[in-house]
Amino acid sequence: MARYGLLIDATKCTGCMACSIACSHHNQLSTKVDFNRLEFVEKGTYPNVKMEIVPLQCMHCDDPPCALVCPTQATYKRDDGLVLVDANKCIGCYYCIPACPYDARQVNEDRVPEKCRFCIEYLSVGEQPPCSSTCMNEVRLFGDLEDPDSELSKKLGTVSTYQLIPEKGTKPRIYYVKK
Amino acid sequence: MTKMRRRTFLKASAATAVLSAVPLYFNFNDYQKVASEAPINKIPTTCNGCASMCGLFAHIKNDRLWKIEGHPIHLKSRGRLCARGHGMASDLYGKGRVTGPMKRTGEESFEPISWEQAFKEIGEKTKEIVNTHGGNSVMWLEHGVRGKYYADQFLDVIGSSNYVTHYSTCFTSKTNAWQNMVGSSLNGDHENSKYMIFEGRNFAGGIIPHGMNQITKAKEKGAKIIVIDPRYSEIAKIADEWIPIRAGTDLAFRLGLAHVLITENLYDKVFVNKYVEGFDEFWNVNKKYTPEWAAEVSGISADKIREIARELAKNAPESFIEPGWHGLHSHYINSTQTAQMGIVLNALLGNFYKRGGLMPSASIALGSMELPAQFHPEKGPRIDGAGVEGEFLTVETGRGIAQRLPDAIEAGKLKALFVYHFNPLRNAPDPEYQKKIKNAELVVSIPVDWNETSIYAADYILPESYYLERTEAPMNVSGHISHDHPQISLRQQVVKPLYDTKPLLDIMRGISNEMGYSLYDYTVEDQIKAAVEPLGITPERLKQAGTIEFPATVKPGFPESNGKPSCGTFTGKIEFSIDLFRLDGKMGIPTWIPPMVMPNPDIKEEFRLIHGKCPWHSHGVTSNNPELMAITEQYNGTAMWLNTKRANDLGIKNGDTVIVESDIAKKTVKVRVTEFIHPEAVWIPAAYGGFSKKFTTSYNVGVNYNDFIPAMVEPHSGSTMSQEVIVTVRKVAN
Ligand code: SF4
Ligand code: SF4
Ligand code: SF4
Repeated sequence: MARYGLLIDATKCTGCMACSIACSHHNQLSTKVDFNRLEFVEKGTYPNVKMEIVPLQCMHCDDPPCALVCPTQATYKRDDGLVLVDANKCIGCYYCIPACPYDARQVNEDRVPEKCRFCIEYLSVGEQPPCSSTCMNEVRLFGDLEDPDSELSKKLGTVSTYQLIPEKGTKPRIYYVKK
Repeated sequence: MTKMRRRTFLKASAATAVLSAVPLYFNFNDYQKVASEAPINKIPTTCNGCASMCGLFAHIKNDRLWKIEGHPIHLKSRGRLCARGHGMASDLYGKGRVTGPMKRTGEESFEPISWEQAFKEIGEKTKEIVNTHGGNSVMWLEHGVRGKYYADQFLDVIGSSNYVTHYSTCFTSKTNAWQNMVGSSLNGDHENSKYMIFEGRNFAGGIIPHGMNQITKAKEKGAKIIVIDPRYSEIAKIADEWIPIRAGTDLAFRLGLAHVLITENLYDKVFVNKYVEGFDEFWNVNKKYTPEWAAEVSGISADKIREIARELAKNAPESFIEPGWHGLHSHYINSTQTAQMGIVLNALLGNFYKRGGLMPSASIALGSMELPAQFHPEKGPRIDGAGVEGEFLTVETGRGIAQRLPDAIEAGKLKALFVYHFNPLRNAPDPEYQKKIKNAELVVSIPVDWNETSIYAADYILPESYYLERTEAPMNVSGHISHDHPQISLRQQVVKPLYDTKPLLDIMRGISNEMGYSLYDYTVEDQIKAAVEPLGITPERLKQAGTIEFPATVKPGFPESNGKPSCGTFTGKIEFSIDLFRLDGKMGIPTWIPPMVMPNPDIKEEFRLIHGKCPWHSHGVTSNNPELMAITEQYNGTAMWLNTKRANDLGIKNGDTVIVESDIAKKTVKVRVTEFIHPEAVWIPAAYGGFSKKFTTSYNVGVNYNDFIPAMVEPHSGSTMSQEVIVTVRKVAN
C-alpha cells in the first residue's frame, strides 16, 4: 500500500504563485479559496536581509486532529494516508477548522471546509499534482514514502528535513528541506 | 466540490443539454459541476500571458477550457507555466472582453456595428487620409512582432514607414547596444554557468519558467548568484548575495568593474585581442573610473566591486552579467551606456559563445509564401523621428518611439493610427498626455479587451479573437535563454470564438479590400503550409505536436569566416564603440553619464520612484483577471515599498496610505514599510492603476509608474527613462 508524502524545498521558492493558481484551476476553486498558500517572512535589517517563504497546504497528518474532532467522520484518513473530506457527511460544524494547527482548512462555495487533497489522480499514476508540476523551481516533490525507489524516498535520504509544529503530535506528511 | 450534488445534477439532465442551457459567463465551479466526467481533449498551443509565448496544452472538456499545463518540449516552458499564464487562460471567459466591432458615439460610449460597416467606414476614411495627406501620415503601433507580417504589407502598399512598437517603453537601450556592438543578441547560458550577476533584472518576476528552472539547477550544482538591485526582488530570494545599489548608478558600478578587470590584468587578453575592436579607445576614456570613484557614486563599496570583478574573472568564461531586459534598459538617461557596459564586461571576461557564458538561441529558417508583387509608393521619413537625421538618428527604426505620438498628431504629421495589442494610454508615460491620441483623425484599436486606449482614444474597436480562439503562423521559439536546438511552435485555436471577433488577418483583409487593395489573398493555413513544408513537416504534424525540436545548430565558438571573426558587425568583431552614435556627435564608447535627476538627501520627503514586475501580472495585460487579482489582494501586491528608516523619519507606518507626488501627478498609495529597499528609492509594481471602467476587476486598483513620469525620450535609443523621476512622499493628514 502506497503512503503518500511531500517534500518541500522552500529555499528554492521565489513566491511566483503558479502553484496556487494551477491548483485552483485543476480543482475548480473559486477565487476565495486557496488550497495552498505562501507565508512570507522578512528577516534582518537593511542591507543584510533575507526573505523566507513557507509554502503551506494540508499536511495529511498521520494523526489528523481534524478527523479526531469531526463528529460525523466526514473527515477521514484513507489507508494510503490521504486525509479527505466527504462533503456529503459534512454537517458544517467547522470543528475541524480550529483543530488544524496549520490553518489548512478553507470553506468552499458549498460551505464545506475543504483543503488540499494531494490530488490522488496524479499520485496513483506516479505523476506530480499540478501545484508541483507547474513549479519552475521544483519546490515540491510528491511521492510514495513506502517505496524506497520513489524519487521522494531517495531525495529524503539525501537531505535533512524538518516538519512544522511537531509538538502538536500530528505527524505531518510534509517534510521541509532544512538549509 | 460536493460529489453528490454533482452526480445528481448530471443524472437529472444530460450533460449536453445542460451545456446549452449554461449562460455564456459561468464560473469554473459551475463548469466543473456539469462537465466533470466529460472526456478531456488536450490541444497544444502557446501562451499569451506575456511575450514569451510558452508552449502549453489546453485541456478542453465539452468545448470548454478547463485548465492549461506547460508543454513538455517547448524550451521556454518545458512542462511548467507561471501564474500569469494560468490566469490569462481563464480570461477567455473574463468580463473585460469586447464582444464585437464598436464605433464611438461619444465620450467613453460606443455602439456595436457590423464588421462590414466597420471595414467600409475605416477603409474609406483611411483611403481619404492617404489621398489627402499621403500614406506616411498613417501609423501602425503595436506591442511588437505579432502583427508585423501583416502590417508591413499594409504599410508598404500605402507608402508608410511608420511601424512602431512598444519597445521604447521597455528595453530599446539594450537592443540598440547589442545590435550595434555585436550585430545580434546572445543570452546567458544559465544552466552551465558558475557565477551569474543579475543587475536590475528580476528573472523571477519577468518569468521564463524553464529559464528559472535552469538557474535554480545551476545553483544546486554550486553556481553563485549575485543580485544587484535597489530592491530585494524575487530573484534575490535565491541569490547568494543581494547588493543594493543607488538607483541610476549601475553604469558607474560597471565602469568600476571594468577598471578592476583591466588594471588587475584579470581580463581575457587573448579574446580581446582577437575579437574586440576599440579596446584602447574605451580604456583611454575610462581609465579614471576607479572602484573608489564607482563606490562613491553607486554606494557599493570599492572592496565589494573588487571582489565581484575578481570572482567574475575567476569563474570566467563560465560567468556573466545577465544581458538583462526591461530592468535597466529603458529607465535612465544612461541606460544605453549601461547596456553597452554589459557587453564590454562580458567581452572582457571572454565569455561570448562559450558554455556557461553567453550563447545564442538557435533558430531555423521557416519557409514563406510568394506574395504577388504590389506597387509600393515611396515612403517619407518616419514621423516618430526614429533614425531621422536631426531628430533621433540613433534610435532603431525597426522599433521606433512609442511615447510621443500626441506630438506627431499635434504637428499634423500623424492622421490615422492603428493600435494593435498595445495600450499606450496605460502603458506609456503620462496618461493625460497619451489621451491626446484621440485627436488623430482616425484611431482604430485592435485589442481583445476594453483597454484604456480603446475607451479613451479609439474611434473604432475591432476585437481580435482571444489567443485560445485563433490560429497564427508558426514561429521560432527564441529569446532570453540560450539553447542549441531550434524549435518551432504553433499557436492554434483550441475553442470556438465566443463572440463576434476575428483574427488579425481577416481584419486586415477587410479593411484593405475596402481601400481597393487585395493584399491578404491567403489563409493562415496557407501560411502554416508555406512555413513548415520546406522543413519536411506537415501542418498536421505541427498541429498535433504544438512544438517541434530540430537537431542542434549551435555550437560554442566565436563565429568566424575564412579565419576572421564575423559576428555581424562591420569589423566582424565586438565593437566597443557605436559608430552611429559618433555620427550624431555623441560618444561612441560608453562612458559615465550621470542620471538626469537625483533625490536631494537633505529633503526627507524626496525619493526616486522605481518600479518592476510582480511575478503574477504582466503589466496591465493580466490585471483585470479575477484570479490573479485575488493573489494581489491576498498578498498586499499593490503596496509601494518604502525603506523602514526613511518611513520612520516621515512618521509613516506599515499599511499607511501616503501621498506620492511628482511634477505631473499626485496620487494616494498604500505603503509596505520594509528593510528590502534602498533608502533613496520607493518601488511600485508595474501591473496596476487600471482606469478603464469596463475593467471591473482592475479599475482603480493601485497606481502605475506611468502616472508619474512625463513622456521623455532617452537621446540614444529612444527609451522612456521611466525612472528618471523624483517624487515626494507624505503621510495623509488625519
Ligand atoms: S510555483 Fe514554486 S516557486 Fe512559485 S510560489 Fe509555488 S512553490 Fe514557490
Ligand atoms: S493539516 Fe490540518 S487539515 Fe490537514 S490533516 Fe492535518 S489537521 Fe487535518
Ligand atoms: S496536491 Fe492538488 S489539491 Fe493539493 S495543493 Fe497541489 S494541486 Fe492543490
